[in-house]
Amino acid sequence: MIAVWIVLAFVALLVVVLVFGFNGLVRLRNEADTGWANIDVQLKRRADLIPNLVEAVKGYAAHERGVFDSVTEARSALMSASTPAAAGQANEALTAAVGRLFAVAEAYPDLKASQNFLRLQDELTDTEDKISAARRYYNATVMRYNTKAQSFPAVLYAGSLGFHPREFFSAEEEAHAVPQVDLSPQ
Amino acid sequence: MTLQEQIRSNRWHSVLLIGGFAVIILILAAALGAALNVWIGAFVLAGALVYAVFAILSSRNMVAAMTGAQELPPDQMRELQRLVENVAIAAGLAVTPEVRVINDPAPNAFATGLTPGKSFVGVTTGLLQTMPKRELEAVIAHELSHVRNRDTRLMTLAVVFAGVIALVANIAFRALAFGGGRRNNGGGNNPLVIVLAVIGFILAPIAAGLLRMALSRRREYLADATGAEITNDPEGMAMALRRLELDPTTVRHADPSVAHLWIESPTHSVEDAPPGGSALAGLFDTHPPLDKRIATLEQAGGFTLPDPLPAEPPFIATA
Repeated sequence: MIAVWIVLAFVALLVVVLVFGFNGLVRLRNEADTGWANIDVQLKRRADLIPNLVEAVKGYAAHERGVFDSVTEARSALMSASTPAAAGQANEALTAAVGRLFAVAEAYPDLKASQNFLRLQDELTDTEDKISAARRYYNATVMRYNTKAQSFPAVLYAGSLGFHPREFFSAEEEAHAVPQVDLSPQ
Repeated sequence: MTLQEQIRSNRWHSVLLIGGFAVIILILAAALGAALNVWIGAFVLAGALVYAVFAILSSRNMVAAMTGAQELPPDQMRELQRLVENVAIAAGLAVTPEVRVINDPAPNAFATGLTPGKSFVGVTTGLLQTMPKRELEAVIAHELSHVRNRDTRLMTLAVVFAGVIALVANIAFRALAFGGGRRNNGGGNNPLVIVLAVIGFILAPIAAGLLRMALSRRREYLADATGAEITNDPEGMAMALRRLELDPTTVRHADPSVAHLWIESPTHSVEDAPPGGSALAGLFDTHPPLDKRIATLEQAGGFTLPDPLPAEPPFIATA
């Protein structure tokens, strides 16, 4: 009789552990989904701004074809990226291309003074800030989700219930998180 | 503590707080009823409960009025609104809390609201004129972590309850002092009742005050840590706290009933604490000392703050 009770208690404990573990995984997965949606919104906004920016610069510097092409290419690569890691890489490439576009714009004072250009530049900077903010949240959530799904006891059932590890959105961190080394002679 | 544990513990504390409030009000009303008249007790009880519910529902406006926080038109201070938006995204908040500005030279900030969706963050003009962008971000991240882990709800409830208890205790004390002479029933003559009533009237405000203060202190360390995690910049958080510490000005609207909402205790530098009473002062403070908060961050982040702080242009130039 006692043995039956022990078995029952053990089964009950197992069920409780499973339920809590499962719910925890579901919550973290939903948080990661929300985090990804946040990034996606900002990536779309950025992709929408780019053609306007290209048009604005073209009006003053139509002959800088190479730069426009690389920006347009990077933009379509970003739009077609299907995984977070790929989108992260495409986003980095777009940042580099847009940086070159702004470098070109430096040479045209009229362009730099135009209201339209200033507004676009401002909006793009804001989008980039928001992408990096959303990335921080997403990556932190994915980290927690992956850790949970790969630890015992969740690791026993996570895979078979469809809780697969998630990809990070480009692991690069903000500049000021890097320790600063002072190399100036004392 | 994970975020979920914090939220759960805050929910539990909110329930306890509501229960504790009900008990204290009940004791006050019972004491009043026993000392004077049952109907007066019942009336005070009903009035206090109605007032508490009304105050909770309008707590947003009440806190705004008590702190002098002004709404920002959407086109004004876009930089600030953007900064809050970005920190809210990094914190994973579904809705960006509104920003309100308090016209006050002392650098300080607070957050309030019953739900994350209906919260607002208040910053003083002094904060904007003192902190560089990086540190302002840290301060906002500290406030938004209060919003995210539901500290703000608990603190808002605490403000309201403490206010209601203080008001009822005040009314009860006056009623006893002026109305106690006319004893219209036998119960009022019972010395035990009088003693109980006096104890109740003395204890209640103290209980309310301690309750309010006990709420805030450990939360500040947690919000510092969470905020540093949100911005991924513990050093920026520590620098912001040091800058708050260095600043000698204090908030003009230092209403003690909203003291624990702020990032730095607004009444802190007003009190010129006697040298001997510092331990006692520590017990009654709403906030842990900034020094300890900075040291905790330094230890966790593995850095030491530069001394003096690097001079950086503030977020908004002084007019």
